[in-house]
Amino acid sequence: MKLLVCIKQVPDLESRFKPDAAGVWYNETDLAFRMNEYDEYAVEQAVQLREKLGEGTELTVLSIGPDRVVEALKKALAMGCDNAAHIQDPAASGKDPWQIASIIAAYAKDKGFDVIFTGMQSQDRGSAQVGVTIAEQLGLACTTTIVSFDYDNGTITAKRELEGGIKGVVKLKTPALVTCQLGLNVPRYPTLPNIMKAKKKEITAIPVVELLREEALATTASFHPPAKKGGGIVLEGDVSDLVDKVIAILKDKTAVLR
Amino acid sequence: MFLDLTEEQKLIQDTARDFARVELEPAAAALDQGGDRSPLLANLKKLAELGFMGLNVKGEYGGSETGVVSFSLAVTEIARACASTAVTVSVNNMVAEVIQAVGSEEQRNAYIPKICSGEFSAGGFALTETGAGSDPAGMCTQAVDDGDSWVLNGAKIFITSAPYAGVFVVWAVTDKEAPKGKGISCFLVEAGTKGLIIGKEEKKMGQHASATNEVIFDDCRIPKSALMGKRNDGFRIAAGELAGGRIGIGSLGLGVGLAAMDYATRYVTERSQFGQKLSNFQAIQWMIADAYTELEAARLLLMSAACRKEFGRSFAKEASMAKMFATEAANKACYSALQMLGGYGYTQDFPVERYARDARITSIYEGTNEIQRLIISREILKNIS
Repeated sequence: MKLLVCIKQVPDLESRFKPDAAGVWYNETDLAFRMNEYDEYAVEQAVQLREKLGEGTELTVLSIGPDRVVEALKKALAMGCDNAAHIQDPAASGKDPWQIASIIAAYAKDKGFDVIFTGMQSQDRGSAQVGVTIAEQLGLACTTTIVSFDYDNGTITAKRELEGGIKGVVKLKTPALVTCQLGLNVPRYPTLPNIMKAKKKEITAIPVVELLREEALATTASFHPPAKKGGGIVLEGDVSDLVDKVIAILKDKTAVLR
Repeated sequence: MFLDLTEEQKLIQDTARDFARVELEPAAAALDQGGDRSPLLANLKKLAELGFMGLNVKGEYGGSETGVVSFSLAVTEIARACASTAVTVSVNNMVAEVIQAVGSEEQRNAYIPKICSGEFSAGGFALTETGAGSDPAGMCTQAVDDGDSWVLNGAKIFITSAPYAGVFVVWAVTDKEAPKGKGISCFLVEAGTKGLIIGKEEKKMGQHASATNEVIFDDCRIPKSALMGKRNDGFRIAAGELAGGRIGIGSLGLGVGLAAMDYATRYVTERSQFGQKLSNFQAIQWMIADAYTELEAARLLLMSAACRKEFGRSFAKEASMAKMFATEAANKACYSALQMLGGYGYTQDFPVERYARDARITSIYEGTNEIQRLIISREILKNIS
C-alpha cells in the first residue's frame, strides 16, 4: 500500500505577528516555525497505519514551502515516514487553498496513493479547504475532522466530530482522504536516534513550477491586526444621571436603541 | 562563521522543549516539595526511551550519537522545566560517556545500554569524599588487590542518584605509596553488591527531587574485571571526564536562569505599581537587559565548548569558562528575577524561589567555580611561561 501525509510548517502561535511589506500576509522575520498541530495528528495516524500494515507499505510525507520546511519534513521522517517530497516554493504563503490543493493533486495523481492524510486545517491560514479540495481533484472518497481511524482490508472506518460534541461514524472505501482533528491521537515525540537516522532518508525536491497549473481563485486583499480599541469611557456621578448618559451613548453610537 | 543549529539539533531542542513543557514542568513544583519520587523516575524512563541518556554515545551501545551540542541543548531545555531531572540526565550521560571512553568492550556492553535504555534509572559518579572535594586526589577510599578480586573500603559523599543508580563509577586508591594522584584507579561497582551501602540522603537547599547520598564501601568485594582503564590511571580519567560534565552543568545553569528570567519578565509586564506596569521602570528594564545579555553570552560560551568537544579539539579550558560563566549568570538572573517579583518572589506560590535555590548549587558542583578559575588560568599561564 502507498500512503501520503501532507504537512504544513506554521509559525509558533505564541509569536507576535506583524503584516509583511505588502500587507497581505505576516512578516516571517524572526518567527520560529514548527509543524502544524493538526498535521501532527495526521502524521501520527499515518505512521500508526504504516506500522500496522508493516512490510510493503510506503509512507511519503509532503510539504510545500521554502527551504525551512525541510525541518518539519525531517520531524515527520523521524516520527516514522519512509521518504519525503519537498515541493520547493518560496512563495507558498501567497497561494490560495485551490492552488495548494492543485499542486498536491498534481504530485499525487500518478502515484496511486491508497490513503492520504491531512490536518483538518492549518493554524495560520485556517481555510480547512486543502484536504477536501485534493480529494475532489483526485476523485477520492473523503471525510473530515476525524477523531478516530481504523483501516481493514480496503475500508476506512472513521469517527467524525460534529457540532455540540456529537460524533458520526463514516465508512469509506480506499482510495480515500481524511482530515485529522484534535483528539485523534497523541503524536509521538521523535526519538533522538530516529532524528539522526532521518538524515539518511530520501527527501525528493521538486520545484513548484513542475506542478503548478492553476491560477488563484481567491486572493488575500489585506492582513492586519484588529484596530486598537480606545481606552473606554468611565462614567461618574449620580445613578440617575449615569442611566441617561448610557442611554444617550447607546442611541448615538450603536443600533441598540433606535 | 555560521552561528546556527543544524536541522537535527533544532529538532532535538524542540523535542526536549516539548517534552519538558508537557511532562516535566507540571511535576516540578510538587517534586521540589519532596516525598514521592516516582514521577521523577517515570520521567527519567521516558527520557531514556527518547534517547536522552546517551546523547554523545555510539549507537552500538544504545546511544543516540547526536553529539555534544545537542547534549547541551537538551540539558538546557530540561532544566528550564526541572533542574533535578536535568542534573540526573547530565550525570547519566557523563557516566555513559566515561564507560565508553575508558571501559573495555565487555564493560561497555554490560552497562552503557542499560543506562541509555533506562533499565538503570541512573548511573553514579562516585569521586568526592568528605576530605576530598575540590582536591579529589586526596581521597582515602582504598581498593586492595586480593587475588581474583578487589576489596573496597571507604566512603563517598554527595553522590547524585545513588539510591536508584544501577552502576557506580568509583575511584579508589590502589597504590598508597605513589605520588599524589598517581595511585588512584577507577572501578565499576554494580548496585546491590555486598558491602556497597547507600548511606544517608542529604537534606539540600534545592534540586530536591534528585537524591544526593553518602555511599559506603564496607569490605565490598568486586571482581578483578571491575577495574576500568589502566591501574593507577584513574585520576587522569576523572579529570578528563569532569570537563565534559561541566558542559552539562553549565547548560543546566543556563536553563534555570532562563526559566527565572522568562517568568519574571512576563510578570513585570502584568504587574502595576504607581499606576504603570513594572516593565515601564528603567530599574526593571536594566535587570532584564543585564540578565539576558549574560545568559546569551553563557549560551555562546557553552556552544563554543560543546563544538570543540564535538570536533575532537581540546575543550577543558572552554568547558570551565562556560561552566563558570553560565552558572554565575544563572545565579544573578535568579537574584534579579526574584527581585522583580518582590515579596511574591520569596513565596512558594511562584516558581522563582525554586529556581533560585536550584541554581545555587550549579556554581559549586562539578567543580566549584573557584576550581574552574584555577583550571582556566593554569591553561592560559602554561602557554606563556
